[in-house]
Amino acid sequence: MTAHPANGLDDVVHQRVRLGILTITHEARRVEFGFLRSALQLTAGNLGQHLAVLEKAELIHIEKGYEGKRPRTWITLTPAGNTALRQEIAHLKELVRQVEQAHSRTSS
Amino acid sequence: MTENSASVPDSPEHLLAAVRDLAREVRVAQRGTWFPLLVFAAITLLAIPVERYVPPSQCRAVDDGLICAGPNLGVLVYWPVALVVAYVAIAAFYIRQARRRGVGTRIGPYVVVGAIMAVVLACASVWRGLHPFMPPTGDGMPPHTVLFGLASPGVAMALALLVLAWVERYPALLAFGLGFLVIMLVQSNQVIRSSSPWHFLPQLLIPAVVLLLGSAAFYHVRPTIPQDA
Repeated sequence: MTAHPANGLDDVVHQRVRLGILTITHEARRVEFGFLRSALQLTAGNLGQHLAVLEKAELIHIEKGYEGKRPRTWITLTPAGNTALRQEIAHLKELVRQVEQAHSRTSS
Repeated sequence: MTENSASVPDSPEHLLAAVRDLAREVRVAQRGTWFPLLVFAAITLLAIPVERYVPPSQCRAVDDGLICAGPNLGVLVYWPVALVVAYVAIAAFYIRQARRRGVGTRIGPYVVVGAIMAVVLACASVWRGLHPFMPPTGDGMPPHTVLFGLASPGVAMALALLVLAWVERYPALLAFGLGFLVIMLVQSNQVIRSSSPWHFLPQLLIPAVVLLLGSAAFYHVRPTIPQDA
């Protein structure tokens, strides 16, 4: 018997905001804190907490610096973060497929 | 709904849809399509005085005038240099835009392909300079002339636009690039027989106008993103 795809979900990644952070960072390669906050419509404090969780899990790398006199925080995806994102999306797709199969069995 | 699924904060369908939406939002924020089109239009327009006022070489006198065996050396040098300068300007624009918008750019592959095309164009220009051909007397063109047409600056710019469409994942730019490529391929197979010193003008003005119109259109539909994220 194969394991249910829900068992493979990573609690760190399987969260709407953190999945959003990983998705944006994957797509952009490198993203600034302000863009993430705007795209995910979060407060700075809330976003900071989610980033800390992802950084602790070594899924992202946070780089602080300056651009002129303006402080900037850039986020990049680590190889582990890239793998975690791919696995999460694969699990989600598998879940959707199984739910649709179950739905078509019950309706037929 | 089961108790297990109720503990999941969002359904898989919603999460996957959110992932797709965010990915699309990032791609839109990375776009700056209007600028490469404007740069290509500019170097095409700048080619007009080069073509007109740099004296042609490898010409021979005939009964009713002069036959020149291909583009002049100034033009052969101009295009590879202009394309390299264009790619540097485009890369700088995208890097600056990425910093301003706070979202990275995937311009690397575009610049690499552009540099390769500039080198190919330079090699074709050198070969063309060393192996001039006489205009054919019939309507058709020699096969090697058609090949040189494929290595023309216009085709190089069209291919650059197709690569950019792939980099930006922009269907509208893909359609524009394909249309531009068709125009360039049709133009490259035309034999011009004219004694006018401005005979080359349509071959430069048509792509320049198309590029300018494209640039204006893409500028009009560019994403509106806060300048300082």
